[in-house]
Amino acid sequence: MSPTARPSALRAVRVEKRFGHVPALRGVDLELRPGALVAILGPNGAGKTTVLRVLAGLVRPSAGRVEFPGAPRDRRLARAHVGYVGHATFLYPALTARENLVFAARLHGVADPARRAGELLVEEGLEAVADRPAGTFSRGMAQRLALARGRVHDPAFLLLDEPWSGLDPRWAARLGERLAELRQAGRGLAVVTHDVGRAAEVADSFVLLSGGRVAATLPGPSEPEALEAVLRESAAA
Amino acid sequence: MNVFRAILWKDLLTEWRRRERVLSMLVFTLLLVVIFHFALPGGAGPANRAAAPGLLWAATLFASILGLGRSLSPELENDALSGLALVPGDRGYVLLGKATATWLILLAVEGVLAGLFLALFEISIGARAGALLAVLGLGTGGIASIGTLLASLSSRSRFGEVLLPLLLFPLLVPILIAAADATAAILAGDPPSSGSVRLLVVIDVVYLVVSFVSFEYVLEE
Repeated sequence: MSPTARPSALRAVRVEKRFGHVPALRGVDLELRPGALVAILGPNGAGKTTVLRVLAGLVRPSAGRVEFPGAPRDRRLARAHVGYVGHATFLYPALTARENLVFAARLHGVADPARRAGELLVEEGLEAVADRPAGTFSRGMAQRLALARGRVHDPAFLLLDEPWSGLDPRWAARLGERLAELRQAGRGLAVVTHDVGRAAEVADSFVLLSGGRVAATLPGPSEPEALEAVLRESAAA
Repeated sequence: MNVFRAILWKDLLTEWRRRERVLSMLVFTLLLVVIFHFALPGGAGPANRAAAPGLLWAATLFASILGLGRSLSPELENDALSGLALVPGDRGYVLLGKATATWLILLAVEGVLAGLFLALFEISIGARAGALLAVLGLGTGGIASIGTLLASLSSRSRFGEVLLPLLLFPLLVPILIAAADATAAILAGDPPSSGSVRLLVVIDVVYLVVSFVSFEYVLEE
């Protein structure tokens, strides 16, 4: 198996996570497939961010495992197939937007970091400010740069935590289009959000978390009202 | 090695732009030299000259703690440390890049510190400057590798600023002993003892290997 072979899925199997004595995840099963977008919904403290960080390899599960079928078993190599955009931007304020992307591309062994950085800056509409320090960026501009950073190595699976945060309507809509393009290109996506309306627009399946457990899994497109109702039920339960 | 080079480039560029670590360490070392000047009544007398190597390394260790404490600050803004944890392959190369950048920065500050010490104690080393630089480099190698590991470990703790020196100082004692011994020999006009140099090399290798291997787990929650 080639070390760069793309995995056929990204799977959390009976994942548990405790922070000290506090359980954050209690036996979560979740699967991402190429070309699919899973929206992870749930109230505050449901474990949405933790499950995303476990899938990204940032948090070690207390029990259970993360699998990459079809990719090398060595999870250090498997990290090459995952992109992650979190609450924080992972940006260095003293570096320019371009330098931030070139740095991220070099970390991931991208063949031509400068060219890739240039492409992403154009896609995110940041080419005019490419040589400005990231520390001078507005929240929305920093978020766009963070989104570019997360997919600098064109990962097979992209995990996004509240990706619409700080984006104006134009760029929020553009993000929806970008996610659709990535799905069509065969990338597997997971989006954590509180915005049920946006989730209903972009996702083709939904996982509702509550109290660190999967409370419901809804395959196929859903109306925002139906999702809201299931969310209310799971929160009440 | 891509990761190593990328981190080294990023850390040096960030330091060049912010000059946060270098300036704070330089000011601190300058203050230490001034304090030593007033605290040692004999000036450049023989007793003080004999103490000079130990004082130089004590000052180096204090300045290193200051620099190491700040070595992770660019990574803590915007949780960039998590971004580094996403690198494919061995995360040890992240440590290697950061430790090498710290080593270079510490060495630059130590060069200034050593110059001030030599002036304060009126010691001329002439052709032995290269040997002194080599001992500084060897001693700082161990400080930079194990210090970067412990700075990363303590960076996520509420008590990080206290934790780092508490964890680090006991591990730096062997470096302090060997480096002060080698420095004393150089300042006295003799070659450093092979025992001291060997001990420094062994400590550097052990600390580097331990830090490289452990870093995989340090970056995970």
